[in-house]
Amino acid sequence: MLTDEERQKFAAIADVLIPSAEGMPSASEAAVPEKWLDEALRHRPDLTAGLRAALTAAGDLPPAEAVDVLNSEHIPAFEALGTLAAGAYFLNPEVKQLIGYPGQVPTVPRDDTDTYFDLLENVLERGQVYRDVPTAGPDA
Amino acid sequence: MMINHSLDLPDVADVLVVGAGASGSVAVKALAESGFSVVCLEQGDWTPPSAFAGDKPEWELVKQKQWHPNPNVRGGASDYPVDTSESDVNPLMYSGVGGSTILYAAHWTRFLPSDFKVKTMDGIADDWPFDYAELQPFYERMDREVGVSGLGDNPAYPPGAGYPLPPLPIGKIGRKAAEGMDKLGWHWWPGANSIPSREYRHRPSCLRYGTCLTGCPAGAKSSTDLTHWPDALEAGAKLVTGARVREITVDDQGLATGAVYLDRNGIERRQKASVVILAGNGIGTPRLLQLSTSNLFPDGLANSSGLVGKNLMMHPYGAVVGTYEDPLDSWLGPAGQSIESMEFYETDTSRGFVRGAKWNVMPSGGPLGMRSGYGGRPVDESWGVNFHRNVKANLGRSFEWGIIAEDLPDESNRVVLDPSLTDSDGIPAPKLIYTSSETPSKLIDFHDERAREAHEAAGAITTSTTRLMRDCGWHLLGTARMGNDPATSVIDQWGRSHDVANLYVIDGSAFVTSSGVNPTATIMALALRSVEHLIATRRDQVVSSPSAAH
Repeated sequence: MLTDEERQKFAAIADVLIPSAEGMPSASEAAVPEKWLDEALRHRPDLTAGLRAALTAAGDLPPAEAVDVLNSEHIPAFEALGTLAAGAYFLNPEVKQLIGYPGQVPTVPRDDTDTYFDLLENVLERGQVYRDVPTAGPDA
Repeated sequence: MMINHSLDLPDVADVLVVGAGASGSVAVKALAESGFSVVCLEQGDWTPPSAFAGDKPEWELVKQKQWHPNPNVRGGASDYPVDTSESDVNPLMYSGVGGSTILYAAHWTRFLPSDFKVKTMDGIADDWPFDYAELQPFYERMDREVGVSGLGDNPAYPPGAGYPLPPLPIGKIGRKAAEGMDKLGWHWWPGANSIPSREYRHRPSCLRYGTCLTGCPAGAKSSTDLTHWPDALEAGAKLVTGARVREITVDDQGLATGAVYLDRNGIERRQKASVVILAGNGIGTPRLLQLSTSNLFPDGLANSSGLVGKNLMMHPYGAVVGTYEDPLDSWLGPAGQSIESMEFYETDTSRGFVRGAKWNVMPSGGPLGMRSGYGGRPVDESWGVNFHRNVKANLGRSFEWGIIAEDLPDESNRVVLDPSLTDSDGIPAPKLIYTSSETPSKLIDFHDERAREAHEAAGAITTSTTRLMRDCGWHLLGTARMGNDPATSVIDQWGRSHDVANLYVIDGSAFVTSSGVNPTATIMALALRSVEHLIATRRDQVVSSPSAAH
C-alpha cells in the first residue's frame, strides 16, 4: 500500500504522462491514483518496487522535470511507473468507452468468405506458387 | 501442484514419455490406444481455461508478466531458467500439460515440398530423410485430430484433403490486407488455424477473444491438454505432473532403462521403462541428454556425433505494422492468423539470398499492448497529449504483417549446460548461444520492405518495422537432428537414437532444417509418424534386460 505522500507524488507525475486533452480525462480525473492504481498493483505486485524506486528518484522535482529525469536516467523504474499509470487508466470502464475499446469480449465467429471470394479468385487464377521437387534426392 | 502417487504406476512401463506437450501428447495417445503401458512425466501441471486472463479486464497487465511466453520473465513454479546472455533471441515456451500449445498462436502451417529438399533445391544445409508426400497423410490425420479451420485448394501447396472445419473469419484486417495483396498481384490465403470455427469433438467454437497467445479462456484453441490428453487418459495412459526429470538412466549395455525425476516435494523418484521417448522441446531435450552422462556416455546420451544441442534454429521474426484510417476492430481474434502469404517463400536467387519466409496477418490487441513499442522514446512522443493521440490513431486501426524467416542449421548456434545457473531443483539450466546469421539478415530486410509495400498498397497511413524481435523464439528446433548417417545426425528418420536403440526423440529437436513456417503441425505429424513406426515394429524393438539394468 502506498503512503499518502507517495500517492500524491504519483498523481502529479501521472497527470503529466496522461493529461486532460483530446477530449480525454487526465489520470487523476479518471481516478487512477486513488482507485485504479491499487487494482493494477493487485495484478502486478512485481511492479511495486519499480514504482517506489521511481517516486524516490523523482524526489522533490517538479512533475514535468521528474518525468524527464526518470525517462533518461531511471529507465526500468520509469517503465514500471508508466506501465502502472497507463494500465490503471485503461482499467477504468469509462476510459474504455471513450476510446471505443470494448475489451476482449466473446464474439461468435461469422463466416465471412463471401466478403473476399472475389479477391481469392484472382489468387487461384495466378496459379501454383510452390516449387516442384525431384522425387528422390540425396539422403541427409 | 499435485503429484498423484495413487496413479498405480507400473514398475516397468512399456514406454516412458518425457514431456506432455505437442509431440509427447501425440505419442502417449497413440501408444495407449495401441495397448502399451505408458507413463508420461511432465514438470508442469494442468492449466484449466478458467485460469487464463483473456476474458478479464486485467488481461493486458498480466500478459506482460504472469502469462508472458518467456519463462525468464514469467518465472513460474514449473519453469526452468534459461541463460540468454549470449543469444540474440529469447526462447518462448510453457511447461505444463499441453506444453507450449497452451500459449501458441495456433498457426497451422505445413512445410512445403522444397522444405524437405533444401540441399537438393538450393545447395545448402541438408535434405530431410523423407519427402513431403511421405508426411502428407500424417499432416492430414493431425488436421482432424486437433480440429483445424481453413480453406482448401491453397495454390501454395500440393493438392490434398481439405480441412475438417471452415475457415475462421479473416475480419476487417484480413480483408484490408488482402486488398493490398490483390493490387500487387501477390499470393494470399485465409489462414489455417488449429482453432475450431465451430464446435468440434466436445470443444466449443472460437469466441474471437484474440488472446490466443496467453491461453484461450473459451477452451476452444487446440492445445493438446484438450485435444489429446482426455483420450490418452481414457485409454489408460498414466500422467505424472510436477515431475522434473534429471537424468535418463542406462544399463551396462548402453540401453535406456528409464528416468530419475524430482517431484514437487523434492523427493527423487525413478520410473523404469522398456523404451524412453523424449518430448521436451528443442531446449529441454538436449538439456536432458547432456545431463545424462555416464561411463558409457561421458559426453551425454546419444551424442556420439557431438551434435546434441547444436544447430539450434529459432526463426528470426520481423514485423511490419500498418495503421489505417478506417476502423478495423483489430482487437478481434483469432490471434491466430487472419490471412497468410507465401508469395516470397520459395527461393529466388536474384534477391541475393536463398530460402524465404511465410507472412501472416495478426491483430494488434488492446491499448496497453500497443504501447509496448514506445519504450525509450522521447517523453513527448509517447506521453502527454500524444498519449491520447496515439491511442486514437492506432487502437483498432492497425495490424501486423509478421514474417517468419527461415533459420538455417549452424553448429555454432547451440544449447549447452550453464556452468552456474540451476533450476529450482538444483539441476543445471540450459544456456543458449545463438546469433542470427547473414542469410536471415538479408532475407528479413527484403521481406520487411515487401511487407511495407503490401501495407501501402492496402492504404496504410503509416508503417513501422520491427526488424528482429528479441522475444520471438517460439520455434525451438534442430538440436537432436535426424538423418541416415550417425556421424552427422543424432537420430534416424524414425526418431530413434543412433547410439541407444530404445531411446527416441520426437519433438522439434528432430528437425533437419527449420523451414520458414510455424512448426507445430510438422512437429505433431512427425511425432505421429515416428510413434506409429515404433508401434508397428514393436516385435523388433531392442530393450534392456532385467539382468543388465542397474
